[in-house]
Amino acid sequence: MKVILRNPRREIEIQGPMVADSLLRRLEINPETVLIICNGTLVPRDTRFSDDDEIELRPVISGGAA
Amino acid sequence: MKCRRCKAPAVIDIRRHNAAFCSDCFIHHCKEQVKKAIDEFKMFGPEARILVAVSGGKDSLALWHILTQLGYRVDGLYIGLGIGDYSDESGVKTRAFADAHGYKLVEVSLPSDYGYDIPTAASRTNRAPCSSCGLSKRHLFNKAALDGEYDVLATGHNLDDEAAVLLGNVLHWEPGYLGRQYPVLPATDGFAKKVKPLVKMGEREMAAYCVLLDIDYQVEECPMAEGNRHLGYKEVLNSLEQRSPGAKAAFLSSFFSRGHEYFREAAHVEKGELNSCDECGSPTTGSRCAFCALRNRVISETPVSIGRISNAPISISRKD
Repeated sequence: MKVILRNPRREIEIQGPMVADSLLRRLEINPETVLIICNGTLVPRDTRFSDDDEIELRPVISGGAA
Repeated sequence: MKCRRCKAPAVIDIRRHNAAFCSDCFIHHCKEQVKKAIDEFKMFGPEARILVAVSGGKDSLALWHILTQLGYRVDGLYIGLGIGDYSDESGVKTRAFADAHGYKLVEVSLPSDYGYDIPTAASRTNRAPCSSCGLSKRHLFNKAALDGEYDVLATGHNLDDEAAVLLGNVLHWEPGYLGRQYPVLPATDGFAKKVKPLVKMGEREMAAYCVLLDIDYQVEECPMAEGNRHLGYKEVLNSLEQRSPGAKAAFLSSFFSRGHEYFREAAHVEKGELNSCDECGSPTTGSRCAFCALRNRVISETPVSIGRISNAPISISRKD
């Protein structure tokens, strides 16, 4: 499956199937810091991805302190 | 996962609430949380004229949308900061959002109207970019709210932002800052009333709100914020949250309910006696406010033309 990461934007290929929570653990991403978007749809952490899915892990942390 | 309210398939889980929601129920949840914050902290009444500071990011666009959906009279204020492509894109997204929804947007451009931009200010003054940016925005937000005779200025600071600021203020034991950290700051001479209606909403929830409603926001991080202290505090808090869901909300809400009162007086003491700035008339403890001092220092070394003088009323409305 194709996994899209941001800041900077990049794409990686990971062998599926895999549950979203496991994907985050494998990539060492804190689930508090991203949205999981599968084929353009927001999904929760227990979603099972198949090999032909496109997954975006969209960061949600913004840095302005003002 | 199933939605906590209607048992339909969930689209998002929120661990601190030990809950998951479908799209409709999540949107409902967001509006309820904002309503709750407005009521709990007595932010404003149903007739208030509200100016929302918008950046093109998820929080401010979502806030603008939610407040309007709740029936409030809300206009947006966008400040162009001159941070290259990042500012260009955030301006495009903000204007597109306002146009699509028929909202009124007030615009101010730091380079065109005040003769400097944030990267130049940071390099000329040796201040951290976020420091120059925050100082400039706070001044212009306040000025726009007063000039436009709005009852209140609303910003999109969310639970994560405020928890991170609180951690910084506690790590450095800043009594004055702790005294001023509250979801409502009342209007005083020369200062508009300021509110933070997203204080009960995590930034992951605000991003989800935008995704579910197809609100096209600026996803990329500000290039000048990279590695700043605030992001470091968020990282620490999110590590805590991962181990102990609800830690961030408990840290912040307990401060508001049990800690803030002990610092309230310090905010007044540190503010000191206020005069009017010699240049723009804004309240200041010296003869010149921090904004004018910053601007003078930057433009004295920057040969750019000034579009209009700094104490002119801000009234660049795109829509009426």
